[in-house]
Amino acid sequence: MLIKRKDADAARGRLQALVAGFGSELVDRRSFLRKSGLAAGALAAVGSLSVGAVRRAEAGPTNFGQPIERRKNMCTHCSVGCTVIAEVQNGVWVGQEPAWESPINRGSHCAKGAAIRELVHGDRRLKYPMKLVDGQWRRITWDQAIEEIGDKLMEIRGKSGPDSVFWLGSAKFSNEGAYLNRKLAAFWGTNTSDHQARICHSTTVAGVANTWGYGAMTNSYNDIRNSKTLIIMGGNPAEAHPVSLQHLLAGKEINRANFIVIDPRFTRTAAHATEYVRLRPGTDIPVLYGMLWHIFENGWEDKEFIKARVYGMDEIRKEIAKWTPDEVERVSGVPGEQLKRVAEMFAKQKPATLIWCMGQTQHTVGTANVRASCVLLLATGNVGGPGSGANIFRGHCNVQGATDLGLDVTTLPLYYGLTEAAWKHWCRVWEVDYDWMVSRFASKKAMEQPGIPSTRWFDAVLLPKDQVEQPDNVRAMVVFGHGGNTVTRMPEMVKGLEKLDLLVIADPHPTTFAAVSNRRNGTYLLPMCTQLETSGSRTASNRSLQWGEQIVKPIFESKDDYEVMYLLAKKLGFADKMFRNIKVEGNRPSPEDILREINRGGWSTGYSGQSPERLKAHMKNQEKFDLVTLRAPKDDPEVGGDYYGLPWPCWGSPEIRHPGTPILYNTNLHVKDGGGTFRARFGVERNGATLLAEGSYSMGSELKDGYPEFTLAVLKKLGWDKDLTAAELAMLERVGGSPEGADKVSWATDLSGGIIRVCLEHGVMPYGNAKARAVAWNLPDPIPTHREPIYSPRPDLVAKYPTLPDTRAFRVPNIGFTVQKAVVDKGLAKEFPIILTSGRLVEYEGGGEETRSNKWLAELQQDMFVEINTADAAERGIKDGAWVWVYGAANDARTRVRALVTDRVGKGVAFMPFHFSGWFMGQDQRGNYPKGTDPIVLGESVNTLTTYGYDPVTFMQEPKATLCQIRAA
Amino acid sequence: MTRGGFGRRIAVAAFVALFSVCLAMTLAPRAGWAQQARQGVNPTAQAVKEEQLLKELDRVTGRVSIPDSKAGTLIQPEGREWRAYHERTLHWIGGIAILGMLAVLALFYSVRGKIRIEHGWAGVKIMRFTTFERFVHWLTASSFIVLALSGLNVVFGKVLLLPLVGSDAFAVFSQWAKYAHNYLSFAFAAGIVLTFVIWVTENIPNRTDIAWAKQGGGILGHAHPPAGKFNGGQKLIFWSVVLVGAAIAASGYVLMFPFYGTNIADMQVAQIIHGVLGVLMIAVILAHIYIGTLGMEGAFDAMGTGEVDLNWAKEHHSLWVEEEMSKARAAGGGAAVPAE
Amino acid sequence: MARVKFLCDGDRCIECNACVTACKNENEVPWGINRRRVVTINDGKPGERSISMACMHCTDAPCKAVCPVDCFFTTADGVVLHSKDLCIGCGYCFYACPFGAPQYPRVGNFGSRGKMDKCTYCAGGPEADLTMAEYEKYGANRLAEGKLPLCAEMCSTKALLAGDGEIIAQIYKERVVKRGYGSGAWGWKTAYREGIDV
Repeated sequence: MLIKRKDADAARGRLQALVAGFGSELVDRRSFLRKSGLAAGALAAVGSLSVGAVRRAEAGPTNFGQPIERRKNMCTHCSVGCTVIAEVQNGVWVGQEPAWESPINRGSHCAKGAAIRELVHGDRRLKYPMKLVDGQWRRITWDQAIEEIGDKLMEIRGKSGPDSVFWLGSAKFSNEGAYLNRKLAAFWGTNTSDHQARICHSTTVAGVANTWGYGAMTNSYNDIRNSKTLIIMGGNPAEAHPVSLQHLLAGKEINRANFIVIDPRFTRTAAHATEYVRLRPGTDIPVLYGMLWHIFENGWEDKEFIKARVYGMDEIRKEIAKWTPDEVERVSGVPGEQLKRVAEMFAKQKPATLIWCMGQTQHTVGTANVRASCVLLLATGNVGGPGSGANIFRGHCNVQGATDLGLDVTTLPLYYGLTEAAWKHWCRVWEVDYDWMVSRFASKKAMEQPGIPSTRWFDAVLLPKDQVEQPDNVRAMVVFGHGGNTVTRMPEMVKGLEKLDLLVIADPHPTTFAAVSNRRNGTYLLPMCTQLETSGSRTASNRSLQWGEQIVKPIFESKDDYEVMYLLAKKLGFADKMFRNIKVEGNRPSPEDILREINRGGWSTGYSGQSPERLKAHMKNQEKFDLVTLRAPKDDPEVGGDYYGLPWPCWGSPEIRHPGTPILYNTNLHVKDGGGTFRARFGVERNGATLLAEGSYSMGSELKDGYPEFTLAVLKKLGWDKDLTAAELAMLERVGGSPEGADKVSWATDLSGGIIRVCLEHGVMPYGNAKARAVAWNLPDPIPTHREPIYSPRPDLVAKYPTLPDTRAFRVPNIGFTVQKAVVDKGLAKEFPIILTSGRLVEYEGGGEETRSNKWLAELQQDMFVEINTADAAERGIKDGAWVWVYGAANDARTRVRALVTDRVGKGVAFMPFHFSGWFMGQDQRGNYPKGTDPIVLGESVNTLTTYGYDPVTFMQEPKATLCQIRAA
Repeated sequence: MTRGGFGRRIAVAAFVALFSVCLAMTLAPRAGWAQQARQGVNPTAQAVKEEQLLKELDRVTGRVSIPDSKAGTLIQPEGREWRAYHERTLHWIGGIAILGMLAVLALFYSVRGKIRIEHGWAGVKIMRFTTFERFVHWLTASSFIVLALSGLNVVFGKVLLLPLVGSDAFAVFSQWAKYAHNYLSFAFAAGIVLTFVIWVTENIPNRTDIAWAKQGGGILGHAHPPAGKFNGGQKLIFWSVVLVGAAIAASGYVLMFPFYGTNIADMQVAQIIHGVLGVLMIAVILAHIYIGTLGMEGAFDAMGTGEVDLNWAKEHHSLWVEEEMSKARAAGGGAAVPAE
Repeated sequence: MARVKFLCDGDRCIECNACVTACKNENEVPWGINRRRVVTINDGKPGERSISMACMHCTDAPCKAVCPVDCFFTTADGVVLHSKDLCIGCGYCFYACPFGAPQYPRVGNFGSRGKMDKCTYCAGGPEADLTMAEYEKYGANRLAEGKLPLCAEMCSTKALLAGDGEIIAQIYKERVVKRGYGSGAWGWKTAYREGIDV
């Protein structure tokens, strides 16, 4: 493999780039000076020339005399799911070509996708396993690493129980990797298995699922081409999901659609809006209710839709009535007239869609924000059809899939939850004994109790033992593909890191976890390959699954997630059970087999129909799918009638060839064509009112009204059980444990898929046909309620809109109320008069270690910065580009960054991107990275400054609204 | 493009104008935000237009994230006008100045012939320039000649030389010429500084120069107006070498350290200054060379051996000779009349 | 023969910088050399527009006119290329260029600019097509492969158009008619002495 360079060369490459200020590379690669012997002889360092020679061999241009292989994978950076086409020669990735045939990106990329080939150049990748010995990084072998890590884990398990190990997974896993990671945690015996969704869309998933059934984007990026009105509220897709703008702008142009951006920042997306609304960070509910106020006041609501498909709208109207234009303006700063205009467009110029991102979710009221957004959609009848819907743009490339596959402290894969029934379901799928599984846990109670979320892991390390609801504190972290700078309150997080007994970082890069603390021992770095160097499926934001093939073999000594999890499972002693039905070649479990296992258990969410064979056929036939509907022509032999990527739910077994569901809850289609209804998930009746749909049903349904979810008993009642095959009935009996027990088996736990199959034959939804809930009585705020941020800039409003009382959840306390009160009492809003919010840059992604190590991207953003309003800057004598100190309102935190003086942010608001790390409170930590693996660009993390505040439903953190002060440095 | 702002700006006061442009760029887009915030905005309808920006500011600039300030200039149509200057104006200025000067000198030579030492060679020499003075002169002169030729190559080479030698040889030559131009600039700049230091006191204009100038320096007639060590013409050369030379050097260094505190417009101005002054100085120096060699008998010795014929000195620098004589007398000996 | 041009639709460009990194990727352009860049005008204010800019391959190119060693040439497709063998790194093309396209590697502590580098419209250079020698000096030659510049091919919103001038002008016109607005073909008047009238 030419791509595996000698380490010495790699190290020299780093030094050369660093010492020469990145300028010298031009001498080697391009040989600019070759012909002008004078300059080259005098100036080119010998070292750089030799590096150039190595580089050329490794990633030179396409040699047209040699055969070129084209391999398809997907971009690993965001949830849009752009296809990447790699040209490979002799195992080397020599070129990247536009993927014209992909209906999602049609050849396009953003800066990250267009630079993705650099990831497998890997100049700054972690090249071999390492451990920290008395503060020094030492190279070790894989065997040694697995041995030592396994021994230490077993020791902690012995002393403190399985819950003292935190399994932090990744939205960068493939579906198969995510599933395996959750399964690994289950076999280890803990529910503390989380990933990035906690801090991006956990509140969306909770809010949306609690409204109409599933926690996902209802439509697709492509479908936004049908919209006549789009509101983007709390999202900046131009930077976070650039390729999606292709579809959004097409909608804007073709339909002359209203393109409304509601955001505290005048973003790159706002620049293309037809209407820009600036609100104060953290006041989404007042603005949404402000719109609804106008809608109900003027009778613009969709009365028919509400009557047939919505429960509890009247209750909400009482709350909405409080939000008069004056009150909305007082709280959010948005003028009533503008809001009226926007509300009218949204209600009348239909179909209208509401797009949101972390601007809504990352708040202490995140779930409530999302629910209020759903209410707006429901009130205007904008769900369940083309061009409408809740288009929630997920973040990472597979955050949807990783969420679906259970990297979540509250559930097993595919939202089965943690109940005994859920465990039994998965034990049947895994073919392991349920009692054995119970024995893996500290107790049956622990097995059914949600774990500790990633936002609070360090609290679970640092809090007194008696405050953490499990046998002992968290003592070890095993982190796969997750940055360390992603959680708020970093100064406290660093203390947590230092107290851990064991820290395992399995990542292509060392990440902030490796560099930010003063740990001296007990830290292991495992070099993982990217998804480009292995195969597997990933779920884009629109629920489409795409299969990526391996472009090149893992570079250096890196391994893929499957192999490393297998090695760990083997060392921990349960590999034979865990991989019972999964073929393992060498030490690498087959991702195809893992997906088949997911298919066998994933009925609840329709992850059952996407077999590896079907997904591979889709990648092969990409050009056949329609740009707008995403559907292939019915007569195609391989993918006929399918929607691209078989967007879940793709019901039943692969053999029944359900086409997938491009638009959720769309009653205008037959369920066999991807139609559907709102999910009956919350019973059939409440306070005497029906929760089932009234007079609304999906096309071709044999039941012309609402109906509950299906069990064998329901089938029997309808007389449809006759349609079940003998094999299906036998399986139902096996699952139920007895012929009587079989009656209680539901569509979701029926391993035969028979109930689902029969339901589809009769045109009904296996999960029932209910109303969406405007009131979600099981949530802390059944009716979404505005509550000021914990660090509110408006102490005057805190009295009227306080946060919820202190409580305990997820095994740890949530003292938001106490903190909010202290903030008001201490008058912090005066001392820290600027609202601090955070967000994305197009060039970087997530914690940023990977993208800041990519020289093509790093060049474009070389300094961490704070956006400060021109007026605020003038008051402080701060010039554009100057160094400033940004002071946080807690932990005596401060960061040294550059000022970007701009009117993107309004007066009194500052914005910082969240991708930076490697500086901490003014200190450059470049030396803390193992040699040669330090990202090119380092900078302060915004989360050094962010503060306390957690959504009560999911423990989402609040990095979008806190306080700070800025001074010239 | 009918604005013609560029040429005018140069004509008036280029740098001042540039500063005001910078100022205007920072101030101009500020207006209008406050009132928009309230009534809502439609960013699509309010899109900036290229033509309008070009009308207002002659250029389009914006923000880039890369730390390369010049990348922030999106469109600068002045490039076209700089091109017109470089490909037309400078050719004309250079052509007229240099060929014109050569023509004038030729004409002068044909009319006046070589200016002889009227009283013939005295055979006695007087020390006019010390070794160090001559070193300074030749340091400046030799570097200037290389700079001038290599500079002219940049302006006229592709018209005159390229067709003769072909592009490869011309590129190699030009490459070396560029290096010579860059590196010898330091010698030239040092020469300028030293020239100034060693001769400035003797080059301060005085009344004698007025008288000298009134008689036309004796160039056309046969009169020999009195002059000190340096006559009016030489003082003119001195000051043009020092001042123009310094300006050329300064503008050259601006070009050599591109974008160190300058922007593209500054660079263009620097290049214009450098080019125009360069060709003018070449013309002046041609005259200087002529008078120091072909044009005047006995003149070259001053910078050759450093010793000039006494008669030549008396005719052209009578006051200086007197001064030297009296100095020698005071020193008590014929020191002013060195060995034969 | 086609006359190729670039056109950046400012109402589509979102400053995602895909064009910039696509260029780096395809041509292995080193750190510090930016053949293409995206400039945001009126940043943070209503009316803000971002424009992706590289060499526009001008009609009667100023760089070509001022080059003291005459190292530029225009291909039959209208692509302005130059020879790095002839270039002496004098910097004049940068002064003349209305678009800031020429880039110079810094090769010494002062002044000595290396040989100029700029967008080649992914058309390589004077060397034989699709050879290593051509790639090393100029980068890819997609035109010879029958492809267009990667920056435009990969543009996230299809804002950056490349191809025959008349065709892309037609595409742009149709867009403007359909959507009802357009901030113009940025740089066209300066580069090609003609705008696009809609």
